Amino acid sequence: MPDRSEIETLVLESVRLLAEDFEIAALQSADASSTLYASTGSLDSMALVNLIADIEEAIDEKFGASIALADEKAMSAKNSPFRDVSSLVDAIIERIKS
Amino acid sequence: MKTIVITGTRKGIGQALAQHYLNKGWNVAGCSRGDASIQHEHYTHFSLDVSDEEAVVAMARTLKKQFGQVDALLNNAGIASMNHALLTPASTVNRILQTNVVGTFLFCREMAKLMRSTKAGRIINFTTVAHPLNLEGEAIYAASKAAVESLTRILARELAELQITVNAIGPTPIETDLIRGVPADKMEALLQRQAIRRMGEVKDVINAVDFFIRPESDFITGQVIYLGGVN
Repeated sequence: MPDRSEIETLVLESVRLLAEDFEIAALQSADASSTLYASTGSLDSMALVNLIADIEEAIDEKFGASIALADEKAMSAKNSPFRDVSSLVDAIIERIKS
Repeated sequence: MKTIVITGTRKGIGQALAQHYLNKGWNVAGCSRGDASIQHEHYTHFSLDVSDEEAVVAMARTLKKQFGQVDALLNNAGIASMNHALLTPASTVNRILQTNVVGTFLFCREMAKLMRSTKAGRIINFTTVAHPLNLEGEAIYAASKAAVESLTRILARELAELQITVNAIGPTPIETDLIRGVPADKMEALLQRQAIRRMGEVKDVINAVDFFIRPESDFITGQVIYLGGVN
């Protein structure tokens, strides 16, 4: 089981790569507190879809864990796990554990 | 070298399509529930059930490692069951929906992820003339393909931003296992409903697939082409 900092590093790498691809200046130097998909966030829905697919793929490649981040739990959660880097890391940890 | 994924390659149209793209110099990744029936240095086989989510995800991960990306997907795998609705058990309904609808969806989802980097992905789903012709005895098969058509049109919109086109082909009856057991008079009556009244051939399907796959077809998406002049 990877620790929190390893997962956070992976998420930040994915966010920065996506930010370059989608030319999102605000996320090119993303950190743990960066807002992703929220009213003040920088990602549109298509960029979020791409980010989730990239992260799921990277988690499998690096840690050998096959997870689905956009599951029913995520969709019905009161606080979206995709709102910022930190909440996304929490969601990944939760899914790797289960 | 381009890579194409074709489901249901053990026999029939899927096998012929695989041979066609191997002859054209593509890498072909095929699958079926059984072992491979094709031996070729550029053919990779996966033995799986197309409705098994874990297996499809694992296949996609392997393809990513092996080829890096996928250029085209042919969702050819499908099953039919001809029977009167009053005599069709739920187990048959579930089996057909699992393979034809869930299987098609899973492959679209996983392969589209691998097409993102190509900026020119091609997905071709398989429907049937049984749907527009409302063929009696094929209620569940036709309904499953109606779902595939809807999936095709909506995915065409969802995947357009990724420069992936999604189209479907609806072949007429072709001499394959799928229509084995259909009485001759029924088949003749069906052919009479086509504009061009002959059995379809594999080459007719290959021609339509080639059309959707060619680079010049990047402005064609969400379309369903029925063969034989059915509409």
